[in-house]
Amino acid sequence: MALPPGIKDFALTGKCAVVIGAEHALGRVAAVTLAEAGAKVLIASQEAGTAAALDETAKAIAAAGQKDVPIQVQRAALRADLSATADRAIKDLGGLDILITALDAPFYAPFDATDDSAFDRVMEDNFKSVWMACQEIGRVMLSRGGGTIVNISNVMAERGVPNATMYCAAKGAVRNLVRALALEWARRGIRINTIECGWLDDPERAETQPGEFSEKLVKYLPYRRLLKPEEIAGALLYLVSPAASFVTGESIAVDGGLLCRV
Amino acid sequence: MILDSFSLEGKVAIITGAGRGLGRAMAIRFANCGADIVAASRTVAQLEETAAAVRAVGRKCLAQPTDVARSDQVNALIAAAITEFGQIDILVNNAGIGEDSFGKRLEKITDEDWRSGIDTNLSSQFYCARAAIPHMVKRKRGKIINVASGYGLRGGKHNYMYACSKGAILQLTRSLALTYADDNIQTNCIVPGIFPHNPAMMEFFKGGKFIPVGRVGEDEDVGPLAVFLASAASDHINGELVIIDGGGLAGGVTPTGVAPGAAE
Repeated sequence: MALPPGIKDFALTGKCAVVIGAEHALGRVAAVTLAEAGAKVLIASQEAGTAAALDETAKAIAAAGQKDVPIQVQRAALRADLSATADRAIKDLGGLDILITALDAPFYAPFDATDDSAFDRVMEDNFKSVWMACQEIGRVMLSRGGGTIVNISNVMAERGVPNATMYCAAKGAVRNLVRALALEWARRGIRINTIECGWLDDPERAETQPGEFSEKLVKYLPYRRLLKPEEIAGALLYLVSPAASFVTGESIAVDGGLLCRV
Repeated sequence: MILDSFSLEGKVAIITGAGRGLGRAMAIRFANCGADIVAASRTVAQLEETAAAVRAVGRKCLAQPTDVARSDQVNALIAAAITEFGQIDILVNNAGIGEDSFGKRLEKITDEDWRSGIDTNLSSQFYCARAAIPHMVKRKRGKIINVASGYGLRGGKHNYMYACSKGAILQLTRSLALTYADDNIQTNCIVPGIFPHNPAMMEFFKGGKFIPVGRVGEDEDVGPLAVFLASAASDHINGELVIIDGGGLAGGVTPTGVAPGAAE
C-alpha cells in the first residue's frame, strides 16, 4: 500500500548511518529502523566478544533490505576504534550522515560501597564512550558539512534513583553534553539529541527480570508495563529525519509518562 | 515497517487555531499524511482558506467557526466533529493569542486583558480536552497535542499572561497524560521556540539572530512533529514536552553564539 505523500520527509533514502552499541536490543532496534527508513547502516560495538550478537543485528538489517552490512567489531582502544569506525563508514557506505549511540550500561550498588574502578567503568560505558563517539564521528561529519546524532539514554538522566548514583550521574552527563554540544555545533550543521528510555523489557536488564523490585515497579508505571525496545523506533526516526531540522539539544522521553509522576 | 507507523490514514483530527500559522501548517501536513480535519478558528475567511488547502490534497475538512475561550462553542465544535465523522482520534490544542501582549506594563494590564488571555490560551485547552476525551475513552484510543511555548519554560520582561498560560499548559499536559494512560490516550506538548508571525518579531529575529541554529522556525517545521505525536510512532510517549526551537532552550546562560574562551 502506498504511503501518504506527507510521510516522505521521514524517510532516510540515501543517508549513511553508524550505530554504535548495535549488539544490544536498543542498538539493534535503531539499526533496523534506520535501514527500514532507507538508510545504509554500519553497525559497531565497543565491547569484545560481541561478534555473534552483531551478526544477529546484521541479519535483521539485511531482512529490512540492505544487501551488505559493514560490521565493525572492537579491535583497538576506544578512541582508535571509533576513529576507524568513522573511516570505515566513509569507505564502505560512501558517507556519514547519522550517528546513533546505544551505549547504556546500568550499574546498581550502594554509593558508600562503590570503588574507583566501578566509577571508571560506569563513566566509561555510559559517558566517556558517548563523548568519544560524538567527537570522532562528529569530526568527520563536520568535515563533510554536517549530520545528526542521537544518543540513546535513560530517564535516570532526569531523576535520582537510590543505589544508582554513578549511573544517574553518568546519564545526567550525557543529557548536558547533548545540550552544550548542540549549541557548539548548531551553526556547523550537526544536530544532536537524545532519547531517554523508561524501564526496559530486555533480558540483558537484570533489574527488570521477575522479582520483588520489578513487581512493585510495574504497578507504579503509568502504562503498568515495561518499555519494549522497539517502541523507541518512532522517536529515533523523527529525530534523525530531515523533518526535525529545527530540533537540537532536545531529549524525548519514551516512558509512557513516567517522568510526569510526582 | 517504521514509515507506516507515521501514517494518519483513517484518522480524524481536530485542530484549533487552524486559520493561520502553525495551525494551518499542521492541518495541511496532517491531510498530507492521510487524516481528515476538523478546523476551528474564530475567523471564517481564514478557516475557509485552510479548508480549501486540506480538500486540495484530497482529504475532508469540516470548517467550524469557534471561539475556543467559550466552553459552549467548544462543546459545539466537538459535537459537530462527531456528527460529521463519528470519531475523534486526534485533538490539537493550538489556538492562542498573546505574541502582541508583550511589553504592556503590569499596572496597565486590566482584569479583562488577563482573563481573556488566560481563557483563550489555557482554559480553551482544558475545555477542548474535557469535551473530546469522553469520545476517546469510549474507543480506548486518542492523541492530544497541546501547543505551548518556550515562554512556558522561561520568563520574559513584561510577559505575564502569556508565560503563565503557556507554563500551565505543560502541567495540564502532564496531568492528562497520567490520568488517561489507562485509556490509551497519549497527551503530549509541542514547545515551539521563535516562529515569528508579526512584522516586528520578523524584523527582530531577522537572519536567525539570537537562535543557535541561525534561522527562525517556519510554520512547516511543526507539522512533522505534530504528525509524529499524532501517530502510532509515538504510542509509548506520554506527558512529554518536545521542544522545537533550533537549540534555544538548551542554552540561555550566555548570549546566543557567545562562548567563554572563544570569539563569536
